[in-house]
Amino acid sequence: MNRRLVGSAAATLVMVLVAGCGGSSEADGKIELSLGLFSDFGYDKLIEEYMASHQNIKIEQRKVKMEQHNTQLATQLAGGRGAADIVALEEGVVSQFRASKDKFVNLAEYGAKDLKSQWADWKWNQGTADNGEFVLGLGTDMGSLGLCYRSDLFAAAGLPTDRAEVAKLWPTWADYAKVADQFTAKTPNVKFVDTGRNVYKAILDQTEEGYFAKDDSYIAERNDKVKSAFDTAAALGTKQQTGALEPFSQEWNVALKQGSFATTTCPAWALALIKAGAGDGAAGKWDVTTAPGGGGNWGGSFLAIPKQSKHPKEAYELAKWLTAPEQQKRIFKETGNLPSQPKVYQDAEVQATVNEYFNKAPVGQIFATSAESLKPTYRGTKDSKVGPVFASALTRVEQGKQSGADAWTQALKEVQDVVK
Amino acid sequence: MTRMKAGPLLYGFLVAVLAASIFPLYYSFIVASKDNSVLGEKLPPLIPGGNLVENVTRVFDTVDFWLAMQNSFIVASTVAISNVVLGTLAGFAFARLRFKGRDSLFLVVLGTAMVPTQLGVIPLYMLMSDLDWYGTLQAVIVPVLIGSFAVFWMRQACEETVPYELIEAARVDGCSVLRTFWHVGFPAVRPQAAVLGMFTFMTAWNDFFWPLIVLDPNDSPTVQVALSSLASGYYTDYSLMLAGASLAVLPVIAIFVLLSRQIVGGIMQGAVKG
Amino acid sequence: MGLSRWDAKYTPYLIITPFFVVFAIFGLYPLLYTAWVSLHDWQLIDGDQGFVGLENYSRLFGDPNFWNALFNTLSLFVLSTVPQLLAALGLAALLDRGLRGSAFWRAGVLLPNVISVAAVALVFAQFYGRDFGIVNYLLGLVGIDPVDWRAETWASHLAVSSMVMWRWTGYNALLYLAAMQSVPKDMYESATLDGASRWRMFWSITVPSIRPTILFTVVTSTIGGLQLFAEPALFDPGFAANNSTGGSDRQFQTLVLYMYEKGFRLFDAGYAATVAWMLFIVVLLVAVINFSLTRRIASKG
Repeated sequence: MNRRLVGSAAATLVMVLVAGCGGSSEADGKIELSLGLFSDFGYDKLIEEYMASHQNIKIEQRKVKMEQHNTQLATQLAGGRGAADIVALEEGVVSQFRASKDKFVNLAEYGAKDLKSQWADWKWNQGTADNGEFVLGLGTDMGSLGLCYRSDLFAAAGLPTDRAEVAKLWPTWADYAKVADQFTAKTPNVKFVDTGRNVYKAILDQTEEGYFAKDDSYIAERNDKVKSAFDTAAALGTKQQTGALEPFSQEWNVALKQGSFATTTCPAWALALIKAGAGDGAAGKWDVTTAPGGGGNWGGSFLAIPKQSKHPKEAYELAKWLTAPEQQKRIFKETGNLPSQPKVYQDAEVQATVNEYFNKAPVGQIFATSAESLKPTYRGTKDSKVGPVFASALTRVEQGKQSGADAWTQALKEVQDVVK
Repeated sequence: MTRMKAGPLLYGFLVAVLAASIFPLYYSFIVASKDNSVLGEKLPPLIPGGNLVENVTRVFDTVDFWLAMQNSFIVASTVAISNVVLGTLAGFAFARLRFKGRDSLFLVVLGTAMVPTQLGVIPLYMLMSDLDWYGTLQAVIVPVLIGSFAVFWMRQACEETVPYELIEAARVDGCSVLRTFWHVGFPAVRPQAAVLGMFTFMTAWNDFFWPLIVLDPNDSPTVQVALSSLASGYYTDYSLMLAGASLAVLPVIAIFVLLSRQIVGGIMQGAVKG
Repeated sequence: MGLSRWDAKYTPYLIITPFFVVFAIFGLYPLLYTAWVSLHDWQLIDGDQGFVGLENYSRLFGDPNFWNALFNTLSLFVLSTVPQLLAALGLAALLDRGLRGSAFWRAGVLLPNVISVAAVALVFAQFYGRDFGIVNYLLGLVGIDPVDWRAETWASHLAVSSMVMWRWTGYNALLYLAAMQSVPKDMYESATLDGASRWRMFWSITVPSIRPTILFTVVTSTIGGLQLFAEPALFDPGFAANNSTGGSDRQFQTLVLYMYEKGFRLFDAGYAATVAWMLFIVVLLVAVINFSLTRRIASKG
């Protein structure tokens, strides 16, 4: 290394230290709003339109993986700085952040309560605290439940393939398990379902109270519904009818591509993932019908505004606009994310939506019906901490490491560490 | 050189080692040159496909890769140069200068290396937000301007290569400490300094845990932050991600090629003293 | 005269000051802060919920998940570091022979280290796939049943440590190589005249001469190996799904991963800080043990 190099290095060093390289927040007099998102909210076009109609506002999206999004948000809330003006909170963690609601703006202060009637009651309630006095977030999409199946694999196993007839096969999850037995008897080399964990989650999502009672007390141990959901899923695992796959992981994608499982529980947003994973080769082979046990909800998010935002009012206006029914309808048509506003379901265009890839299934009708009949489960503050413990337990069963009973016992014990 | 000459067997073995080293990189390149569906195949594909240009274009469309490269370059080169300069000075002092408390201070340096890095994330973040450094490159540069690795490594290098006699001679001639360092110390450890520079450059270039938390992905991304934005969707497009990852490796390889001359040149110089 | 004495006395302190300043602000402060946090019931977002003294520590000693993580950490450390350093030593010895195009070979062995760990993890996850991975395919060719690499403790440890080895062997080999280059060549010449074998020369000349570097790598890879995080995290498909337990039964959950789970997933910052401090102590202990052990072995050589 020669002298000149060292000299210029020192110069760079000083420059960097003195100058500071970050962006300033007020560029050319415009109000800058940042939007902290994960995954695909489908906001790109909407945001451009909003900026065109609001000349004084500049919006930027920050998209990262959901897991990173949550870690970053927690750190930013703890550090008191750096969070986006609007942050997305997924259903699984919204209850966790609800416990720290004083770090967020109470949207009721800006009149959010007037909008209440837009959403399904349960969706509205998930995003509020203090008996509805504190409005933490405005609902975006929801994940009403369907069941996706491979019609070619069903045909090979001698099962019906038409979606109405398939739906008739499994009014309840017990019936679903019977179909699994028939399927496995005929085609033992193909797994019936990707993972028992999703079946478990779907069953649990159809009960009014799961791990927690509505007063937020922990009841999993004495709630028969949790046990029976666990047993149903564990039985599938014990009989080797599941692929023991981590949902939406790379292995799951490979299995989709290889066609090595025949059914999967699918909320509206999962159709795009199945299509992407299975690829063009499987077009028309996948189909979707109603799930056993009626509707349920898996996923969906909220838009919230951290207190550290410098422009809460403008942020609220934007969040309100993005979650309004008209915009939600457009997002459904473009991305397939199902709105959480019932009014949208009646819309003729929504009702008429079909999904080409899924054998032209009338997804608008299927998911809207499922959404309307939905009685969602109460999610306790610690729901997102408890859930993974039981998920791991089922994975142990599917991996053949433990019996269902042992896995259940261990899970109950482990969960104590989290709920106390 | 009287060292044993290398035979064909040795070359054969090294080719095998090299193949193992390169294969995952090559494999990333393969995936980057195809579409995502390639990952579903039973055997890993070995021949590149025709989508490389398309995937690379998509990388540049999706994130501001130039800005990310530029930022990473500023971060990594500043960190590397500062570690080399400050590390060599401190290492020289610990190895070849006499001062009170030298050995116990060095033990402290060693001890600091044991502090787990992930441990400090929260307090460090709070510190950064007090300094108003969130989203600025200082936030990822300043904490690593000089690390114990650099001090430790350069002390080692000075112990091995800088003869005491030369220093004494320079001091007798009336050279100041810094002049002695510059004329006697630094020339002797240039190869090790180059190694250090390269390693710290790489480490800074590849760091992602802290940058992901403290940088703003739009205003101040480094390459690793940009790469993680490429994989933000619920469904991960590996072709896109690995196209980005392959691009991100190129500058580091270029730095290596640049510095490897320095390393080889330095070694020749060092050998004279033997 | 006065100036010169001042120079000799104070300049050394002056030039080591930057290190201590940077460390004090960005290393020591977080460390002490973490110690403070570990004495409290501290929620990540909501902060201090009251002083609890050593309660977190006593909870930790009775926490089977902590001991499990400690075992995994040590097991992964031994599995990845010992073979890695031996292989690096061998590789460096080979690279030290007069090779044609030496820069090319050096660049080649360093290549694994320049690729981002996320890309590496993805590629290895692919190799170790249960149903479609190439490793299981190759095992199948010699008649071995497919292994579920993420389900079994030993298998997951092998897989994760292979990833670590692959990334760091070349790096350490280059450190050794740099040291070997400065071994005076006349030492080899006289040994050759005495008829010493190549093997003997390696152990009695090369290794003792580069002893300081070996000590150096032992200490640095102890530190790195015990703080393993990215590799096991990315090897676990559950990590991205909000479940950072390192396998269905915590088979490959390391201490840092456990700390991450407690702090960032469960928001129990006080307990996470406690895990972090225990990790610090473990690293310190193991590094001291390894240091004295290696010093003894290398000086016998």
